Amino acid sequence: MPESLDVLKQALSGADGFVELRYHAKASRSVEVEKGRVERTQARHRKGVAVRVLDRGGWGLASTGTLEPRDIKKAIAQAQTAARASAACKRSAVADLPKVELAQGCFDQPGLEELSGRPLEEKISVVAKLEEHMRSASPAIQSASCGYSEIFEEKSIVTSDGAAATFRLVRPELRLSAVASKKGELATGAESVGVTGGWECLFRNGSGEYFAEKAAKTATDLLGAANPEGGRSTVILAPSIVGLLVHEAIGHTVEADFVQAGSVAAGKLGQRVASELVTLCDSGRSEYYAGAGGSIPVDDEGVVAGKTTIIREGILESYLHNRESAAHFGVAPTGNARAWEYSDQPLIRMRNTYMEPGTSSLEEMIAGTEDGYLLEGPRNGQADATGEFMFAVQEARRIRNGKLAELVKGVTISGIAFDVLSTVDAVSNSFLWDLGSGYCGKGQPAKVDAGGPYVRCRVLLGGEQ
Amino acid sequence: MDEGELLQRCELLVEEAKRAGADEAEAAMALSRSTETHIENNDIHTVQSSEEATFGLRVLVGSSLGFVTANDTDPGLLRSRAAEAVAQASVTPADDFNGLPSPLPLTAVEGLYDDAIAQLDATYTTETTAKLIDRIRSRDQRVRIDSGSVRASVATVALASSTGIRCSERSSSLDGYLFGMAVDGSEVASFDYDGESSRALAPFESSLELAADRFVDKCLAGLGAGSGESFKGTVLLAPEAVAEFLLPTLVGALCADVVRKGRSPLAGKLDSTIAWPGFSLIDDGSLAGGVASSAFDREGLPVRRRVIIDGGTLKSYLYNHYEARAAGGDIRSTGHASGSVSSLPGIGPTHLEVAAGETPAAQLLSSSEKAVIANRFSGSTNPVTGDFSGVVKNGFFVCGGEKRPVKEILMAGNLFSMLEGISTASIERRTIGGARLVPTLRLEEISITAG
Repeated sequence: MPESLDVLKQALSGADGFVELRYHAKASRSVEVEKGRVERTQARHRKGVAVRVLDRGGWGLASTGTLEPRDIKKAIAQAQTAARASAACKRSAVADLPKVELAQGCFDQPGLEELSGRPLEEKISVVAKLEEHMRSASPAIQSASCGYSEIFEEKSIVTSDGAAATFRLVRPELRLSAVASKKGELATGAESVGVTGGWECLFRNGSGEYFAEKAAKTATDLLGAANPEGGRSTVILAPSIVGLLVHEAIGHTVEADFVQAGSVAAGKLGQRVASELVTLCDSGRSEYYAGAGGSIPVDDEGVVAGKTTIIREGILESYLHNRESAAHFGVAPTGNARAWEYSDQPLIRMRNTYMEPGTSSLEEMIAGTEDGYLLEGPRNGQADATGEFMFAVQEARRIRNGKLAELVKGVTISGIAFDVLSTVDAVSNSFLWDLGSGYCGKGQPAKVDAGGPYVRCRVLLGGEQ
Repeated sequence: MDEGELLQRCELLVEEAKRAGADEAEAAMALSRSTETHIENNDIHTVQSSEEATFGLRVLVGSSLGFVTANDTDPGLLRSRAAEAVAQASVTPADDFNGLPSPLPLTAVEGLYDDAIAQLDATYTTETTAKLIDRIRSRDQRVRIDSGSVRASVATVALASSTGIRCSERSSSLDGYLFGMAVDGSEVASFDYDGESSRALAPFESSLELAADRFVDKCLAGLGAGSGESFKGTVLLAPEAVAEFLLPTLVGALCADVVRKGRSPLAGKLDSTIAWPGFSLIDDGSLAGGVASSAFDREGLPVRRRVIIDGGTLKSYLYNHYEARAAGGDIRSTGHASGSVSSLPGIGPTHLEVAAGETPAAQLLSSSEKAVIANRFSGSTNPVTGDFSGVVKNGFFVCGGEKRPVKEILMAGNLFSMLEGISTASIERRTIGGARLVPTLRLEEISITAG
């Protein structure tokens, strides 16, 4: 057991009321190469202890950048003062947290030693070679960049009602981007991959060269591509876009704090919100195969981070909870309380969010589409309280009469999430985690992953008029 | 630690780096303290107090660069961090453009620190938050505050280098932020947000009340949104959209690193017309009391007022020390090294100001039969090409003098072409996010797709 767990246990002894101590150490390193130049190599270390107190129905949070018992005791006193300030002005007091089963023990994740054993020189060299690989892929490539980063984390969580858990994990990421140019026209292609695991795990879906060639090819293929005509269209979404859809447009609306504020998912438990082909989950584990980028064994309240089925065969089944919201709704916490840095408060966040595979093959889905698009690679995405979402797409290929046709560029899709999920009429039998380099923003970042099968549905396509 | 002690700690770190084998070194440190009251679901949630010291150490071994940042500024630990930075530099390929700047005279910026803010505690932020929630809820119960906060903070930043730079500065800040939406029965309107930041206590509470009122108005405006129409034509880009959609991509393309890497469509366009003749853009990090003001940038160089675009003509890119060296000739840093002490110096703007136009905002659509008003834009802009496509948020469709809220309406075009397609700007301007002073812009020939 690491020293941090013992120090926290010791510091907690004698504290009054509900107290939660979380030690969080992060060590990250990144390398970036662009146009043949090492743009940056940097290392970052941040560690400390967060103290959260629930006193008289108010939450207080304080932190210290050390693991010294006297500093932790001081932070406990500060958090108690803060909790009382909160309680004095709150409209409704937070009820005492009900007793739940909390994690105890060590939950280290794989890949730590393998990745830390690889020297920095090797990582710089790989990044430089991949960047060069993109530039040499085609004369049309005018610049390329490749970045690698890794975050080593250690967390220990101790609460006055029984949690005593500790774990270490590592999350490496690789990002590649190529810019192609022809007669003054510019086009970009980007690939990225991120996992919870080691170096071998990072390349489990393809080698670095594979991703470099793919980024370069996308950039060159998009040169000369036309913009699409805007309007409502049938689309087949690739797993990365399905992942973005279930994370941004559904996942956020079922975060229980947001449900309480009035999201579109409020009051819809037990109701049909999607086609019966849709089963959607969020899990702290890496379902189907190892390495999903948002995996956590235990959340930041000491709850084991298992799997939650959000939508089962089209029916909304569960929200995502921390201990406080679970108590409010009278259900068990789902292990979704997460904080980005030691000094941050834990918020309800997703982990690995996905749609379960169906029974169709991708080939059947394309053959069965008379007029539509195959959409691969999200550029970014946002969603609204209304469930309205907007995703930009890297690569959109026309489907005409059941066959793949020309590439179009600058595609954006939009729709109301539950409406779009109700139009799902085919789900492929494959599965891919494909958002492992993704970060979710909610006042503070969170490392997440998302994915699924190929999914056919109808959306609004942005384009020219 | 006071300013002097923090500066001494920076000098100690520079010495440790030299001792570990660095040829040159630069240490930046920040000491910050804050109290923040968070809002969740229309109520006060967590009250938080924080205090942290962080540093960033940049070293050069020959012309190879290493950088380490940490939140352990204890003198005993600095030696090992300095050794780590030097070890990192020793395995990084050399780059002749790497270097540290020499000192230049600095001019203090007035109004960055208010001791009254330093005296505020959790009682102040919590009571202010409670008043804010009451104000919003008493105006209209349909407005739901999903999240928000009121925060009081003070910070000291110091920087020392082996090339002779020594500077430090204290600042204070009060920040309020609201995020939520209106819910009316089964109808949920779009998210919206507003906020206020101030370096001084005096104007903060009244400014925050105005932000709360704007927040309520924006949330309610989203109720009853219906469908629009597809067309190609006029769009009014409101100040929020100018600040959060147009400026980031435009200024990104003006950063010298993006230009050098061949990722900017504005490369080679100095002294060329890139925008409508009425469009001028100024950056001023020396604005008294400004939330993005400072006497020096991330490398310790002076920050000044600079005209970036003058009457549609591009006058300057933004440089830090590295990019000025890489550009060569007589180019010097423009004082735009950006970022916190925890990151390597990047390039970024400070306060941006877009010149006012000559048309009252109320008359911007007087000659238009059909148009969309975009208060926000939720979409994607390709920074390399400028192609954008996304959803208009808090949008209105105007047809034959009638104005109604719309949803599911997509806007697409090219941002750099759009700059030349601006037809007019409003006389009135608003400050967005404390550091962007912008008018409403009228754009032509924009593709609108309605759902």
